[in-house]
Amino acid sequence: MNTFDIDYTLGIFPILLKYVDITLSMAFISTAIALIIAVLIAIIKTFNTKVLSQIADVYISFFRGTPLLVQLFLLYYGLPQIFPSFSSLDAYTASILGLSLHFSAYMAEAIRGAISSIEKGQFEAAESLGMSQTQTFIYIILPQAIRVAIPSLMNNFIDLLKSTSLAFTLGVPEIMAKAQLEASSSFKYFESFLAVALVYWALVVSFGYLQKLLEKKLNKAYSK
Amino acid sequence: MKKITLAFITMLSLLFVACDSKDATSTENTKIIKVGTSGGYYPFTYFENDKLQGFEIDVWNAIGEKLNSEIEFKTSKFSGLFGMLETSKIDTISNQITMTDKRIEKYNFATPYVYDGAQIIVHNETAEISSLDDLKGKKLGVGLGTNYADIVRAYDKNNEIEIITYEGNGFQQDVKLKRIDAYIEDRTSAVEAIKKGNLPLKLVGEPIKVLVNSFPFLKNEKSSELLNDVNKAIDQLRADGTLKNISMKWFNTDITKK
Repeated sequence: MNTFDIDYTLGIFPILLKYVDITLSMAFISTAIALIIAVLIAIIKTFNTKVLSQIADVYISFFRGTPLLVQLFLLYYGLPQIFPSFSSLDAYTASILGLSLHFSAYMAEAIRGAISSIEKGQFEAAESLGMSQTQTFIYIILPQAIRVAIPSLMNNFIDLLKSTSLAFTLGVPEIMAKAQLEASSSFKYFESFLAVALVYWALVVSFGYLQKLLEKKLNKAYSK
Repeated sequence: MKKITLAFITMLSLLFVACDSKDATSTENTKIIKVGTSGGYYPFTYFENDKLQGFEIDVWNAIGEKLNSEIEFKTSKFSGLFGMLETSKIDTISNQITMTDKRIEKYNFATPYVYDGAQIIVHNETAEISSLDDLKGKKLGVGLGTNYADIVRAYDKNNEIEIITYEGNGFQQDVKLKRIDAYIEDRTSAVEAIKKGNLPLKLVGEPIKVLVNSFPFLKNEKSSELLNDVNKAIDQLRADGTLKNISMKWFNTDITKK
């Protein structure tokens, strides 16, 4: 029986760390795009705009209702068959696109929930001060909603960060792909996958710490 | 309130910090041949310490030298390689591609550079399997997108063999753990993998089919030109003994001739 090879496991880390930037950049870019889409959808849903609101419903329903892996395959392998111009989409971009669309659906719900948690009376109060609806939204509602939404948005971000591991199925050389490739020539599966698990864990723990700091800062105005 | 917006802006800007440009555009002085390979097929094309190496890599570097071209390797999952070829993201595939009738119909192949056999591999302790016949009612692993499934299906008309497809080569692990009964892979690769991984596996019976391997190219004018060059290079490499040397280096036997 093979035993656990500690030297091999330690040797894998430097290789994985070289590709952490790909994993992180995918996570950050996707989160940024997803946030923008999510805020737009949340606004549409809050003001209940006619046709747009229905489109938003279908959008959320589809991207929450199908697995991320299926969406990635649809984008990368499926679309070029119907629209040949999509074949110029590289795996890295396709992964970012897939992650953004998928997680924007979840984030939209988180933001919408946060917006609706703000008392209606604040709208009226702002109106009586002569603020327009847009002004009220940007200066009064959104800043408060963000504070409420941070914990669930952070949850979405962590989920997204781990989901970047699916990009290896499209051939993106991120850390999961590297672990898989090293394992397939060394046959040290446990060592390789344990190493990559520890890297993800360390990343998520550090972002959890950042979240605590951020929440503390945002809550300062509310704690007397 | 200012603090909140400030924090929000900091967070957003943080999001953009790690975005870096991945594509370094290379100068177009020498011709660049883009070769797709899985990088997950020991010892033909594999990563060790993050370095792409193997028999295929050596062969292409030798071809590149003969043609005075730069070889750019693009790695992707095996099942995605043909899609990349179709969309011209790569010029050809170097991953022990067997010349099957279906593939010959669709692609122009270069002069064969490897002759090999499809081999059944089982656990050391398995005694009852030595041919395709014995696999009836058993679980057989093959790589997704490889032609081994087709070979077995052509033989197994009544679907009596349960074929399980794998991304990568998890089938070795699964036979080792006795989750499945056998797998099919090319003989040379199997021998090396068993040696390197110290796996409790063995080859049984004669190869079920001779495999002739080469590089597929799209059937269009631009590819035909490159194909001609590659063919010339392969002929030269065979004549001057380079192909044989590369084979001896990796396998201690010459798999580049019939």
